[in-house]
Amino acid sequence: MSRVTLDALRWQEQPAQATVTVNGGAPHVYFQITAPRDVAAMCQGRPVEELPRILPILSPAHHLCAAQALDRLFGVEPPPVAKNMREALRLALFVRHHLRKFYFLVSSVEHPFTDFWSQDARRGSHSLRPLLDDLMRHGSLAQEAAIILGGRADHPVTAIAGGVSRALREEHHPRLAEIAEACRSCAERLAGFLRESVFPEGKVLGELRGLAAGPLASLTAAPEGDGLVLRDARGAEMERFAAAAVFDKVDLHREPWSHEPFAFLKAKGWQGLGATPAEGLFFVGPLARLNGGVALATPLAEAERQRLVEAIGPFPRFEVVAAYWALLVELLSAAEGLVALCQVEKLTGPVLRTIPKAPGREGHAALESPQGLICHHFRADERGLVEEVRVLDTATANNGLFGIVAQRAVEASLAQKRPWEETKKRIELSLLAY
Amino acid sequence: MRAEQKKKLAVYTATGCRACEQGILDLNYQVSEIGRFADPVFWPYVLGTPWEALQDGVDVALFSGAIRTEADRQAALKLREKSQLMVAVGACAAFGGLPGLADLGGGAEAPAAAAAGGAAEEDKPTLPGIEPQTLCLSQVVKVDYVVPGCPPTQNLLWAAVLALVCRGESPARLSYAAARLPEPVAEAMASGMLPPRGTTFAGEKAVCGSCSRVKEEKKFGTVKRPYQEYQETGRCLLEQGLICQGVATQEGCGGICTGVGVPCRGCFGKAPAIFDPGTKMVSAISSTFDSKDAKEISGLVDNFVDLAGTFYRYSLPAQCSLLATPDQSSETDKGCDRCRG
Repeated sequence: MSRVTLDALRWQEQPAQATVTVNGGAPHVYFQITAPRDVAAMCQGRPVEELPRILPILSPAHHLCAAQALDRLFGVEPPPVAKNMREALRLALFVRHHLRKFYFLVSSVEHPFTDFWSQDARRGSHSLRPLLDDLMRHGSLAQEAAIILGGRADHPVTAIAGGVSRALREEHHPRLAEIAEACRSCAERLAGFLRESVFPEGKVLGELRGLAAGPLASLTAAPEGDGLVLRDARGAEMERFAAAAVFDKVDLHREPWSHEPFAFLKAKGWQGLGATPAEGLFFVGPLARLNGGVALATPLAEAERQRLVEAIGPFPRFEVVAAYWALLVELLSAAEGLVALCQVEKLTGPVLRTIPKAPGREGHAALESPQGLICHHFRADERGLVEEVRVLDTATANNGLFGIVAQRAVEASLAQKRPWEETKKRIELSLLAY
Repeated sequence: MRAEQKKKLAVYTATGCRACEQGILDLNYQVSEIGRFADPVFWPYVLGTPWEALQDGVDVALFSGAIRTEADRQAALKLREKSQLMVAVGACAAFGGLPGLADLGGGAEAPAAAAAGGAAEEDKPTLPGIEPQTLCLSQVVKVDYVVPGCPPTQNLLWAAVLALVCRGESPARLSYAAARLPEPVAEAMASGMLPPRGTTFAGEKAVCGSCSRVKEEKKFGTVKRPYQEYQETGRCLLEQGLICQGVATQEGCGGICTGVGVPCRGCFGKAPAIFDPGTKMVSAISSTFDSKDAKEISGLVDNFVDLAGTFYRYSLPAQCSLLATPDQSSETDKGCDRCRG
């Protein structure tokens, strides 16, 4: 048996590596998360109202999801202005996250730290440098918007039980509007580049373009209310259930070779990663959201969604190119949403929070984060101290998908006798899309 | 700057989130010129650099994340061996951070094979073993500088990069960062010298010193939790009865959290003059109880919950005097001479 470890995989939100073993037959790929997170242990015994400050260690959007779970736990409804501020923060996080993904995609072609003032660099071709700069600058603007709205960009603090902790200052309003407009323009420019240089056959993605993760079921938040929608691999709605029931429907499987568990559908049971079709698995994220085939509310994003359908066919899609395209559609949608929301009257109001009267015992929430659906369930004792925290993070929900994508990328690469360095790059570029 | 003059930079995250690395990348977004001063020779997250490619002669290693696995420990040892300067970036590397909090709850999520030290089924890969308890970087290797925060604020991160990597190459940009740093650090930065070894890129006082809220009279007549009603703006949060750790926490963030109406949780670690942040907080609060009646005081005390998880939110492995393991940074070695610039 031979074994190759591809370490470290770029652009992963947790330290990750792929170990390939070949034992006479087809290669077997293990997508491994190599560092533990232990969030349940971190939260155990903490005052429940502190969870929005601890759970963002998973990703910034967990701050908002935890605050929503606290709203339910304390039985309070945030005022409209607080809801708008939270939503604006969520959209700013979308813009920042999706721009970063495209920054990484472009930096796979153009080295991100090229010193273009130096003579060495000027001798080379740097046609993508202006685009990289554009993405960097607007990533930093989206970060500024997140700081204005959340106090911090990576570990926000402003969403609290029943609302938000403070009002925006007068000077924040024009700045947020300015940032939102700038990000929308940047997304439009990026769309032009992607349509010309990434999405067509034979361009940046090359043979990866057609590599597909599916068919897989998808789990997303329902457009209205508190529900979740489970769609089968053909895009048909299988089930709709309350967010509170997510852990009745989804279970976690652990393997000894990864710190990240694998989420699967309880009704189908754990069938392993090699099962075809992979009926027990599901995925979340931008492409899963678009796989519902529902028209989008904002014009630029909807037009881009239509282009996607015309170019590669109707939903559901599972290919790498569709996943990158879904990121673009969502980037446009988030930027347009931010423009619509960053108006003085929507982010200003006399009441910022509804004050809870007493601690509650249970709370739950589901939220569409930039990475995909996330779910929280908190249980507290009579003093409001955490007894149990259950979290469905995108890293867990998509762990099976990542394993399948890594397996297929390696199989395709080895079939073409590509070197390991290129195989690693293929895995990285494939995973980045989802 | 010619390529051979650039400082060789390594960036790595052990157990934690990516926020600190993201902060360094965001710095590149904002200034768009890290490549002018530094040659990032090892950065797994952004460049996918494998360990085999790590060469001797790294000038500055920016290490974030806590030491939770054997792989984290090995990474710290390798980077220390190869690097002139080792910088703990973020609360996890500096004090253990949020991952250290898991030790209070048992830290029981690790797969059985990892917990057992890597033994697994035949043919299948293994995981590095889990450390018995979470450690900060300086408990494993000698650390030259610390950039605290969860994540570090951009101005201090930029100040550290300017001071350690750029070394005065861009004096026009120094003033903003220098104004927020202790005088010796600011002076070293301005002159292109390395700041004294052991420098923490933060302020000299406690967060209360830069918090914009109005302080009147510290009297604890009631205990409030952040879900209860309080004045989001204006008056000092501690004076309103909320546990706010600004009084025990090193300054430098500018009071970000208190400025947006939420209490400080100490992500910059303890202020320099303080021995233990927990005992400082107990002392600060109990000395201001607005009562002399034992029953009343007992009633107040009953309302304090999860003191360990609050006072050591980001610093349990390093700054809780009852639990902390010895620090490697106190050892005398070759690093002292190197750091004199």
